[in-house]
Amino acid sequence: MTDSTPLSDFRPVRSGLMTGALDDLASVGLAGSRCRACGETTLGANTLCPNCGSDDVFPIALSDEGKVWTYTVVRYRPPGDYKGAEPFQPFAIGLVELPEGLRVVAPVGGDPDAVRIGMTVRFTARARADGVVEFVYNPAA
Amino acid sequence: MKDVVIIGAGIHAFGRFDKTAEEIGSHAARMALADAGLAWSDIQASYLSRMYLPATSGARILRKLGGTDMPIVDIEAACASGGAALRQGVLAIRSGECDVVMVLGAEKMPRGFMDPRMIYADWQIEMGLSLNPSYWSMRAMRHMHEYGTTDLQIAKIAYKNHRNSVHNPNAMYRKEFSLEEILGSPLVCDPIRRLEICAPDDGAAAVVIASADYARKIGARAPITIAGSVHTIARYSADFRCPADSMSATANNEGPTEVTARKAYEQAGLGAEDVDCFEVQDTDAFCELEIYEELQMCPVGEGGRLIDEGVTEITGKHPVNMSGGLISKGEPVGASHLGQVVEIVSQLRGESGARQVEGARVGLAHVLGAGGNCAITILRK
Ligand SMILES: [Zn+2]
Repeated sequence: MTDSTPLSDFRPVRSGLMTGALDDLASVGLAGSRCRACGETTLGANTLCPNCGSDDVFPIALSDEGKVWTYTVVRYRPPGDYKGAEPFQPFAIGLVELPEGLRVVAPVGGDPDAVRIGMTVRFTARARADGVVEFVYNPAA
Repeated sequence: MKDVVIIGAGIHAFGRFDKTAEEIGSHAARMALADAGLAWSDIQASYLSRMYLPATSGARILRKLGGTDMPIVDIEAACASGGAALRQGVLAIRSGECDVVMVLGAEKMPRGFMDPRMIYADWQIEMGLSLNPSYWSMRAMRHMHEYGTTDLQIAKIAYKNHRNSVHNPNAMYRKEFSLEEILGSPLVCDPIRRLEICAPDDGAAAVVIASADYARKIGARAPITIAGSVHTIARYSADFRCPADSMSATANNEGPTEVTARKAYEQAGLGAEDVDCFEVQDTDAFCELEIYEELQMCPVGEGGRLIDEGVTEITGKHPVNMSGGLISKGEPVGASHLGQVVEIVSQLRGESGARQVEGARVGLAHVLGAGGNCAITILRK
């Protein structure tokens, strides 16, 4: 139920990671799971809690808005099958802390040199030319 | 529990060579045998630590030393592979099944950033979340934010390790750099710079270990006791080094180095204050600073003060990375921990020349890597 329904040629960058309809990017959010046994929230649609091992886990939607807990700027092209801008442009990645008690590793949009710890950012789904829907956290307006 | 001792140590220099894994691996193994005064046929079991070499590399390398029917097993635990392999050797002797065992680390790696498919999922690679230094750098950024650690303190660690490497013939880079050169080198991932980071390379190192009884029986020269040998995997969300897609904001589990250090100190019956020299995982210069705190050389948040005060210099109270560390030696993943162990053995024997820690009697080797793998070996004269 957390998997998006691909109505067109769109595919999620990873199955179980997103909610909403992929052909309506504004409806897309991050999927989360919460454990009834220990209360831990984890990223994506999970059937086991990696904190305590319980299988009493249910899906929750993760908030779109979060704060940068830490970050860095990637200044060299990542190795392997990187699908970002060509020619390579330095970009920021961060751990974005969400109110559900989870920090998500993600690219942070906008000027990489303007990113700061504590900055408010917002989940934004984006579709690549190959139809894959991925995500970025953009500075909140 | 049976006492386990190192009776022979050998190393093939770390760097980039036009040689096969068999050549560099057998070089280190034969050197360790010669150091122990033993023949290959005396060894009863062997363990190879490796990550990038193909299946059965242990047998491929060691069968070249002569026909044998001993068990030869490859062990992999990311950057902690060497500690995991050494622990298997220690257990084989403690169990009473073996008297004398070879533990070899060997690796040959491609240049540049490590192949991300080894540890990351496709989607992380496609989104650019697969550069190992980016995770180390995010830890550094948070530490700077919380404790006021500075770029200069991080650079000082790289400065120390590059300077120590000048005296290590087995290091890949043996060049001193000024603080200005280090701080002027290009950022890889902010705040970590090119001269503050280690490169993958080739290398091999080996030890012959034995029960203390066996060592006495053969009259081993200068046996070194393995006082602690621990390998752990970090608990849930205790480490966001890499690969990670998220971490908990609520769980507060002890980090991999903290857990491993606690267990290793307990096993050895000593604490950080008793350790005369350390070889630790400086994949990047900040990582070493954080390890000062996690190995209990100082309270959390004070790693920067230690480097400022010279505590971790060869002449300081807690010398760290006398060999030049991974920053200078490079990181041939499977060989790196055995390389640290060979360095500590040389320090405890008083054979380290210009990089000798005076009067060293206890040493600690630490590795840390993907998946929260951590291993610590404590050696005592
Ligand atoms: Zn749970």
